[in-house]
Amino acid sequence: MNGNTGRIADINLTTETVKILQLPEETYRRFIGGSGLAAKVFWDQADFSAPALSSEALLIFMNGPLTGIKLSGASRMNATARSPLTGGLAESSCGGYFPPALRLAGYDGVIISGRAKDPSYLLIDNGTVTIKAAGPLWGKGIPECTADLKKTYGKKSTSLVIGPAGENRVPFACILNESHHAFGRCGMGAVMGSKNLKALVVKSGTGEFCAADPERTKSLVKKLTPRIKEYIISQVLHDYGTSGNLEGHMYEGDVPIRNWTSNFDEEMGSDLTGSTLSERFLKRTATCAYCAVACKRIVQVDEGPFAVAEGPGPEYETVASFGCLLGASDLAAVCKAARICNDLGMDTISAGATIAWAMEAYEKGHLTDEQTGGVPLRWGDMDTVVHRILPMMASRSGKLGALLSMGSASAARTVGCDSIEYTAQSKGLEAPMHDPRGGHGHALAYAVSPRGACHVQTAMHFMETGACNYPEIGFEFDLEALTHDKKADTMLLATAIGSIENSACLCQFADRSLTLPEIVELINAAAGYGYDIGSMMEAGWRIFHLKRCINYRFGFSASDDDLTTRLKEPARDGDTAGIEIDFDEMKTGFYELMEFDPARGVSSREKLEALGLKEEAELIWPQT
Amino acid sequence: MSQYYKDAADLYKIYGYFLDRVLKDDKIGLKMSKAGIIIKFMYTDPDAEITIDLKNPPSKPGYYGAFYLGPCNLKEDVWSKQPADHSHRFWHGLENPIAGITKGIIKQGGKVTAMLKLLPVIKPAFQLFPVALKEMGLDHLIVAKK
Repeated sequence: MNGNTGRIADINLTTETVKILQLPEETYRRFIGGSGLAAKVFWDQADFSAPALSSEALLIFMNGPLTGIKLSGASRMNATARSPLTGGLAESSCGGYFPPALRLAGYDGVIISGRAKDPSYLLIDNGTVTIKAAGPLWGKGIPECTADLKKTYGKKSTSLVIGPAGENRVPFACILNESHHAFGRCGMGAVMGSKNLKALVVKSGTGEFCAADPERTKSLVKKLTPRIKEYIISQVLHDYGTSGNLEGHMYEGDVPIRNWTSNFDEEMGSDLTGSTLSERFLKRTATCAYCAVACKRIVQVDEGPFAVAEGPGPEYETVASFGCLLGASDLAAVCKAARICNDLGMDTISAGATIAWAMEAYEKGHLTDEQTGGVPLRWGDMDTVVHRILPMMASRSGKLGALLSMGSASAARTVGCDSIEYTAQSKGLEAPMHDPRGGHGHALAYAVSPRGACHVQTAMHFMETGACNYPEIGFEFDLEALTHDKKADTMLLATAIGSIENSACLCQFADRSLTLPEIVELINAAAGYGYDIGSMMEAGWRIFHLKRCINYRFGFSASDDDLTTRLKEPARDGDTAGIEIDFDEMKTGFYELMEFDPARGVSSREKLEALGLKEEAELIWPQT
Repeated sequence: MSQYYKDAADLYKIYGYFLDRVLKDDKIGLKMSKAGIIIKFMYTDPDAEITIDLKNPPSKPGYYGAFYLGPCNLKEDVWSKQPADHSHRFWHGLENPIAGITKGIIKQGGKVTAMLKLLPVIKPAFQLFPVALKEMGLDHLIVAKK
């Protein structure tokens, strides 16, 4: 096998056994790798009756076919499980340094099942996997645990670590690599914690990336690297980080403010945007493996109540979720909140969004002092957020900590008073910080995304904002952001492209400028799949339809492909004020194009069979 | 063949009038001046060149920056090249600049991030451009939104 190693470590923590799974090369070709291959493994091996945090549940980490080729943005990794937050398919993507280290240690991925008797971690050392006792590492924050592991296994080692939130099974707990790069969404940290697994460590990987066509791979990397670096989005990311265009997005109605009740605050936009972060707190830039873009921020806040030592700075999603969404313009406080979430191991989108919902509920009187244990919840009160609420959420302590640690949808169901109406989520996953009322295609993308409200599972976000051009598949037109026009047709293409990107484990920022022929060429040179654009697109669709089948088996149906009232009601201010989203029209059109059953929300038998998913079709549509 | 401009002189007349308004505007001009850069816009069909100086102190009172119609000796920090008709629609708020760059309609060089930072600042000027055309008696050049 080329590119891929052909070896997946299959680890059962209950029986303390390690097997090597070797899938046929054709399976890799059909599901690309990363997100697609993990979905296929999950489909084949998961016990669909097992709760997300049970010992029977699976946690899968999977590299893509390009991981290790030394091209910017090509060495990310996917994590797949059942989400404790949504009950459906959980997926998350992470860059950093773990993915290529795992490949060079001899594995494409790791499947973890069972539950360790005592807190443990996995040590991977050049192909040998050992289950080790976590001992005093359990209970530690992520940076401290990461540093301890590095001290033990050397500077070149790299690890995936959970924090106290994961240990406490907070359903939106995350996993971090090098205390900076996150498997943020869907509660992967809780799944890991439920397995009594504190960390995965790659001590050393001295293998080499064996491309199908080494010369072609090398020349492609050489050709594409300067272009990726010079691409305008890369330049913005390098200079100002992922929040580089926050201010600009605010003028487009894209940035949610005060729990999605406003979309425009010029001063807030200026206070929180990436250039302000760079001017005030940036110490230096940082990067994922092999990436020339370097969008990561290393920040330091010297003094004040929100002082933070030099270390990882907030991404756009964090700036918006702990700044705009909470009605706070204090960038130092956002840096502090981000650092605490990194330490405790919580997804900043879900944490910030849940607090924002609670602030509105408190303002409305739906959440009382009695229910919060006397903790006041007021817009912009970052002192309370940083010093009281976040630690309570991670430890699930006190009435408020217990409530908010459930995530916004479950917390709203507990509180009642129709407060679910002003959560901003789909399938229980809090929406990222891009308002669908500022780009109506997002509404469709959030609703039909298998993992819940998500802007990176498909390519709609970038297609709608004009950052993509795919003439080879007929996408060379401009989309009007504030209408439903052409959104269903675009979404059809966006599902395949998003699946390809997430399965090839490409960074959606760094590799935005890659054309489809270039992606085909890269995959063929590295992994020898022999794709043309048509077969690669078909693989993308196959993956998306498979994920829908997984959710169907978890009990999801067409009615779950929806958004909450807050996300669909017209915006109240800014340029997008008063404009209705024609959600039903988009959804109906998309369902028809995808050949989804209008009630079950799953692909037709014919469609599944046409995509080569015969066994899946049999299970979904048994013939009587 | 340009849909909106007969020749470079025609373009300079319209942009001269428009930029005069923008760079005197207390809100837009003031914010633009904070960019502290020199931008060169190069147009094709008709070929033309306009430089906006937001770096040096403006010599004319009441202005937040200076502009030069036609080639000038100022060394730009950032340049942008595009068809004049595309720019005409852009100033109506009808063209997505990111899409223009993605499709290669707009070429750029230099400190492009500094210019991108200006995008939210100049957005209010999209309302001024058709007003300027109207004031010049050029209503027929106003592009209607779809």
